[in-house]
Amino acid sequence: MIIDRARGCLLALAAGDALGRPAENLEPAEIARRFGRLTEIEPGGGGTDDTEYTLFAADLLCRYGAAMTPDDVAREYRERVLPAIAGPMRGAGFSELGAVQALRRGMAPPMTGRWHPHGWSDGLAMRAAPYGVFAAGDPAEAARLVEVDGAVSNSGEGLHGGRAVAAAVAAAMAGATPGEVAAAGVAAVPADSWTGRNLRAAVAAAAAGDAGRLRQAVVVRHYPWTDLAPEAVALAFAAYLLGGGDVEESVVTAANLGRDADTTAAIAGALAGAGRGEGAVPDRWAREIGPATGRCLPFVAGRHVLDAAGGLVAAREREHGQGRAPSGSPHLDQG
Amino acid sequence: MRSGDRIRGAFAGLAIGDAAGWPAARHRSALLAPWSRRLARELDAFAEEHRLTTLPVPFALNQPVEPLALGPSDDAEWLAWTALTIGQDRAAAFGALAGRDDLRARVSVRTALDNLAAGKPPPASGHDNPHFFDDAAAVRAVAFGAAGADPRADAEVTNSGDGVLAAVAVAAAVAELVAGAPAEAAVVAALAELPGDTAIGHAARLALAAARAAGDPFAAVPALDAVLLDHVYSYGVGAAQTVAVALALTEVSGGALAAAVPAAACLASLADSAPALTGALTGACTGLSAQPAGWTAAARTLAGCCLPELAGTDLIDIAGGLV
Repeated sequence: MIIDRARGCLLALAAGDALGRPAENLEPAEIARRFGRLTEIEPGGGGTDDTEYTLFAADLLCRYGAAMTPDDVAREYRERVLPAIAGPMRGAGFSELGAVQALRRGMAPPMTGRWHPHGWSDGLAMRAAPYGVFAAGDPAEAARLVEVDGAVSNSGEGLHGGRAVAAAVAAAMAGATPGEVAAAGVAAVPADSWTGRNLRAAVAAAAAGDAGRLRQAVVVRHYPWTDLAPEAVALAFAAYLLGGGDVEESVVTAANLGRDADTTAAIAGALAGAGRGEGAVPDRWAREIGPATGRCLPFVAGRHVLDAAGGLVAAREREHGQGRAPSGSPHLDQG
Repeated sequence: MRSGDRIRGAFAGLAIGDAAGWPAARHRSALLAPWSRRLARELDAFAEEHRLTTLPVPFALNQPVEPLALGPSDDAEWLAWTALTIGQDRAAAFGALAGRDDLRARVSVRTALDNLAAGKPPPASGHDNPHFFDDAAAVRAVAFGAAGADPRADAEVTNSGDGVLAAVAVAAAVAELVAGAPAEAAVVAALAELPGDTAIGHAARLALAAARAAGDPFAAVPALDAVLLDHVYSYGVGAAQTVAVALALTEVSGGALAAAVPAAACLASLADSAPALTGALTGACTGLSAQPAGWTAAARTLAGCCLPELAGTDLIDIAGGLV
């Protein structure tokens, strides 16, 4: 069962990434003008940085498990990300670009995540799902682990965004309802934070079924970049709730809201896929998901999200074989 | 005892630095008809299409030419507004601007005004803000430092984290200077407010080390570019960079405005505000009476390019209100 949810989570994430790609940075009205309702993945288009950084995070967990430290993550960037990049980074978020420059300057975490101004980027939230898969049923542990990864690239609200997604996926992996999944995400971030305020507004707007109120509450009007974690994670959670936890409906809703559409659709997909399993991902989407091309992170070229899902489940079992009791039921922290 | 010459010098110095940076003419071109700026954007596209290195500059076809003369822009106007409203509750002062459609301001301020209008008070108005780290509050903090007042309540309306630390550091430095302290003491006072594990604290120490090694302001320019600038992000008003430059150039110039401001203006990507902040600190140190008279004359009269009601106002008169 857990392998089915793990495969569903990462497959739907990749599908959301690919579906949302052509809608990124477009207004909903422009998406409607170009696509009607965007429901089909552009054939041969594939995924973007969301999928490839998710593969990176899954690989980190397979190597280090729950004992992973920020220094381990920084070493992986130095040894496997930096040498494979000739010239500029391609297809990375500002947070990863900024962190790479800080690493090249010889800085160590957490300064690498603070040195650049994009601590709030959704670059961590977009790759947070593997932490929820690995710590299925334990949202607090998922949130702790994703923050270890995020210490290299993010700070502040970017860490909160990662925590919310990882915790929510961990709840969904254990069969929580969409409402419980969203609550697990909200509980994983400080109440007095931008992400916390936006997530509560998103949950309320979704309950009212009001996408206009959602955008009014969480979309920043006078800023041209859309990769703000407090905004993207709120849009993704709302889309997931508006979609009732159904994979196709959640992902399509997120993609058609625009803004950082590949990332919001990927996160909505991860939540819904973890809840409903691989079979809930439309076949026509699954057929479009092949091995990563490595266009963003060359060292993940050739890897498939379904293999990463298997690797994560195996890593989880190794972890539990080393003395930790597997958590059989979700213990959702509602505090 | 606070010095009136140094208080006026801080304000005039900020305006001189503001005027010296290349973005000033772009801000001041906001006073021209919108179609003239549209033509400028089309010329930029033309230059790209035709592979021309002859770059278009702000110009005034069938428009008044005065706005494009050397003069102050956004930072001088927001400083003036701060001095004029300094006795008011800060959320209320900003709240009175929310909803106006004739203002121009940094991303942090625009977003804070939206937050206030949506019922989100400080500090959330400055925290739930994509540009919480910019130097809008640091510029306004020159007024609080000159008045010997705490800049935090003002800074938290529009900024958070490094953006608030920057304001506290600038106010601390200006307060030292208007009390008669030398440049080095002002920099020490500012650094004491900037923890080393923050981006701004780390950057300030890197910038000071680079400038000391270079030995003088102009010689420090390439080293400051190398240690501070990644050139990844699109906007050059991050307080971690601009305040670091201002502190480093203030110290290495010994507080000499005429040496420090031109060096700050050479850092092209920070030229919107690093020269202004550098000018405020070194202007306080130099004092109004010792500043180059031609620069003071060109920089003291506000254009109204951000806050239209300030057009024609004398910034040095406004500074006098704090003496």
